Amino acid sequence: MADYDVAIIGAGVVGCAIAREFSRYHLRAILLEANSDLCDEASKGNTATLATGNDTPVGSLERKLVVRGHQRYLAEGPSLGLPIRMVGAMTVAFDEAEARVVSEEVRSSRAEGFASVELLNADGIYARVPHLAPGAVAAAWAPDEGIVDGFSTAYAYALDAVVNGVDYRDSAPVTAAHRRDGVWTLTTPGGAVSARLVINCAGLRADHVEALAGYRDLTVKPRRGQYIVYDKRARRLVDVILRPAPTPTTRGVYIAPSIFGNVLLGPTAEEVPDPDDRRVTPEGIAQLTAAARRMLPALLDEPVAAMYAGMRPATEKPEYRIIPRFADGWLTCAGIRSTGLSGALGIAEYVAGLVVPEVVKAARKEAIKPARVPSLADPNIARPWTDAARVAADPFYGEMVCHCERVSVGEIRDALSGPIPVHSLKALKRRTRVMMGRCQGFFCGARVESMLRTGKP
Amino acid sequence: MNPTVAIVGAGPAGLAAAAALTARGVRDIAVFDRDDTVGGLPRYCGHLGFGWEYSHRLEKGSAFIRRLIGETDLSRAALYPRTTVLEMAPGPVLRVVGPETGLREIRPKAVLVATGVRERPRAARLVPGARPERGVLTTGALQQMETRGIPMPGPRAVVIGSEHVAFSVLLTARHCGLKIVAMAEPGNRVLSLAVARPIARVVFGVPVFLNTEIEEIQGRATVEAIVLRTPEGLRRIPCDCVIFSGSFVPDAPLSEEAGLAIDPRTGGPVIDQFMRTSQPGVFAAGNLLRPVESSGVAACEGARAGACIAAFLAGHLDGTQAASVFGLGEGVRYLVPQRWAMDAVDLRDARPLRPSLRVSSDMEAARVTLATDGAVVWQGRRRRLLRERRIAINLDALPSGRPAAPRVDLVA
Ligand SMILES: Cc1cc2nc3c(=O)[nH]c(=O)nc-3n(C[C@H](O)[C@H](O)[C@H](O)COP(=O)(O)OP(=O)(O)OC[C@H]3O[C@@H](n4cnc5c(N)ncnc54)[C@H](O)[C@@H]3O)c2cc1C
Ligand SMILES: Cc1cc2nc3c(=O)[nH]c(=O)nc-3n(C[C@H](O)[C@H](O)[C@H](O)COP(=O)(O)OP(=O)(O)OC[C@H]3O[C@@H](n4cnc5c(N)ncnc54)[C@H](O)[C@@H]3O)c2cc1C
Repeated sequence: MADYDVAIIGAGVVGCAIAREFSRYHLRAILLEANSDLCDEASKGNTATLATGNDTPVGSLERKLVVRGHQRYLAEGPSLGLPIRMVGAMTVAFDEAEARVVSEEVRSSRAEGFASVELLNADGIYARVPHLAPGAVAAAWAPDEGIVDGFSTAYAYALDAVVNGVDYRDSAPVTAAHRRDGVWTLTTPGGAVSARLVINCAGLRADHVEALAGYRDLTVKPRRGQYIVYDKRARRLVDVILRPAPTPTTRGVYIAPSIFGNVLLGPTAEEVPDPDDRRVTPEGIAQLTAAARRMLPALLDEPVAAMYAGMRPATEKPEYRIIPRFADGWLTCAGIRSTGLSGALGIAEYVAGLVVPEVVKAARKEAIKPARVPSLADPNIARPWTDAARVAADPFYGEMVCHCERVSVGEIRDALSGPIPVHSLKALKRRTRVMMGRCQGFFCGARVESMLRTGKP
Repeated sequence: MNPTVAIVGAGPAGLAAAAALTARGVRDIAVFDRDDTVGGLPRYCGHLGFGWEYSHRLEKGSAFIRRLIGETDLSRAALYPRTTVLEMAPGPVLRVVGPETGLREIRPKAVLVATGVRERPRAARLVPGARPERGVLTTGALQQMETRGIPMPGPRAVVIGSEHVAFSVLLTARHCGLKIVAMAEPGNRVLSLAVARPIARVVFGVPVFLNTEIEEIQGRATVEAIVLRTPEGLRRIPCDCVIFSGSFVPDAPLSEEAGLAIDPRTGGPVIDQFMRTSQPGVFAAGNLLRPVESSGVAACEGARAGACIAAFLAGHLDGTQAASVFGLGEGVRYLVPQRWAMDAVDLRDARPLRPSLRVSSDMEAARVTLATDGAVVWQGRRRRLLRERRIAINLDALPSGRPAAPRVDLVA
């Protein structure tokens, strides 16, 4: 007999959402993650926009799942504690040729049921973004595009899954897979795991995991996206997602507010051979600043808080690669390239729908235990230290460690004692935002390290 | 808790202000500091070199802080470490949070903002390359690691920058087992002067690359190497940490969000010679005012601010900032104070802040002139003006009477 009905390989946002979905059924599931923390690959470096899907290919599976994912995120995100701000996205045209592109985007979006998308003229544009570079003639306005917290999203899904009975193992790279009598045995350094169905959600390494099972019809083509993060002061300049008019080859560099109160400039789009090559390059920086100069030149005078690069798990084909191989007890869920954060709940529902009851027979659970992550959003912060009663009851919430992002001793303590362990500084950063602000650890780096090592303030 | 004076920041400036206030009999002073111990940056510096301008002694950072606390009457001034001033609004009204105070609003008669400076980290300098989880540090972070007993990522370090603080790293390095394998400075000369000389012995043996930029940082989990673009070409230096030193910026978010007028040249609040900011009752001092002076200068400013606040509380000094703004000639990077009250004010025992400036680029032979109404009223002697040096205008008061239009120029 197998240990598990379902084993999910990869705790990116997609694997975590799928694990959460299976936690709603009476079945045994496990989520296996290679790294010491979840959300440490493609899912850790993105723009974190909650897309409606109106710019995905018409009629594609991606479109269907992003539309559904967006809908579910709005419905289910808040009860997980996930902050959402519906800031809207504006695709701006600076000349007549671009104006034709954006008006076509508006027309086709509306025809496809994205009824809220509208065309703006210059007055409408500058009323929303007074600091926009002069010369904008038209824009497509998609008010239902939002911004979210990408790290907390994956964490919330995994937490919900674990609270509701899914097993989770970190530092568990699957290095071999063998099937006998309808049961897969997955080898990891911490021991073997057996399961009747394996779901490959390995993102940037999905092709390696496929190869372990003998499938060679998919190749990952990592595509890097570099970003510059501007300090919170910059948010006075822009509070919508700004996009250039797309060209046939690229969606271009965005300027987007982040849920943490910063302004993001990015991403670039560069194919790189090595999925771990998250370097920020002089060429990348030059491309980003050129894009800002064109759309929002005032941004370039703002102080920079951070830089990073994300990696899209693209494959040789543009579409989502969700491939059931049920005769072999295998399901591939790869190539979730540039909309996975928005689409994850749609993907998860779709995948569970393929699996239950045809492959795994399981009844839906009646009672679901609640799971909630702390909101890290700024502004509209629901942080413990904004609540006098909580500070009085637990003074550790009143003592700040990270001053730029305002993270208290109590919040760090909570993160270090959660059900999904924190083994590293980067995990602690993502759970709490310590050291993610303008000083990058000048004030708090040593104290955070000390808390991580000793568990004491 | 209802203090008469709230001091935000217990570094040299804030502590010296508290001492000056208590010495003048002011009571009910609350000194807030968000760090877990008071003292500001010097408390992390185990080496000599603090407080000279204030106490005419060269002490270790921690000793200088002890001295300032010793001068403060703690029955009149309460120190609140671990306590953050979250917001400030006209009134003045402060929102503070701390384990002892809880989350609360306070309405003092006067506020001193003395929140200090920080160093610009790697990202703010747009330095390309890999982003290892550990090993890319600022001097401030390194010194805190040393103080808090956090092991270094590895023995070999490259220091970026050559301001005084870069040499502070050399001193710290000896304590914590770091070997500095190179220093790199984008400019054409070492920026530390007086302090560098006694340290030269220590520096000896460390290659200093001038006119050098960073091509990239290499390494995944930890730093493996730095690639420097030197005038002689690219040079890869294996190392375990890269320490970004200097390139200070005032830590002004509290002031900015409160709506205090900020001088874009300094990045700090605009003040006048009585340390008054643009909001009545709110004063500012220390390195928040501009990047960056020594701890002794910061303490002197704090003491002045304390005296001015005492005069304000006693009714000798108005809370509203002076109207006249210094005009600045070409080549002046910034001047503090930015505003000047032309009316004579009897501050009793307090002297107003002397204007001091920095130049944008080195000038071989130049003099500073001060004019009012188009007529030069003071001029400095002709000398070499270096961009890292504070150039004080040795003048305690401008001729009073208006209109005045004070103006500072550099004359070659
Ligand atoms: C620059 C950029 C911008 C983006 N912007 C947006 C956006 O604004 N909105 C949006 O919705 N989406 C956006 N995306 C897309 C989104 O980030 C991805 O679609 C999503 O993160 C893909 O998630 P994943 O779970 O498939 O992959 P990953 O996050 O890579 O997860 C795969 C996991 O599998 C693990 N793994 C790999 N091999 C093994 C093994 N052998 N054993 C065990 N575990 C293994 C990995 O460690 C990893 O944790 C963007 C992406 C990028 C890169
Ligand atoms: C690495 C390094 C080495 C140095 N070496 C020397 C040296 O060798 N000799 C020398 O003379 N000078 C040195 N300096 C410079 C000097 O020590 C500092 O700039 C000096 O401490 C400035 O004093 P300050 O009071 O203005 O600010 P700081 O010392 O920076 O103190 C500001 C205080 O304000 C607190 N604070 C900030 N915001 C808030 C808030 N919102 N609420 C509550 N508290 C807040 C901070 O926690 C901090 O304690 C060095 C500086 C650095 C960074």
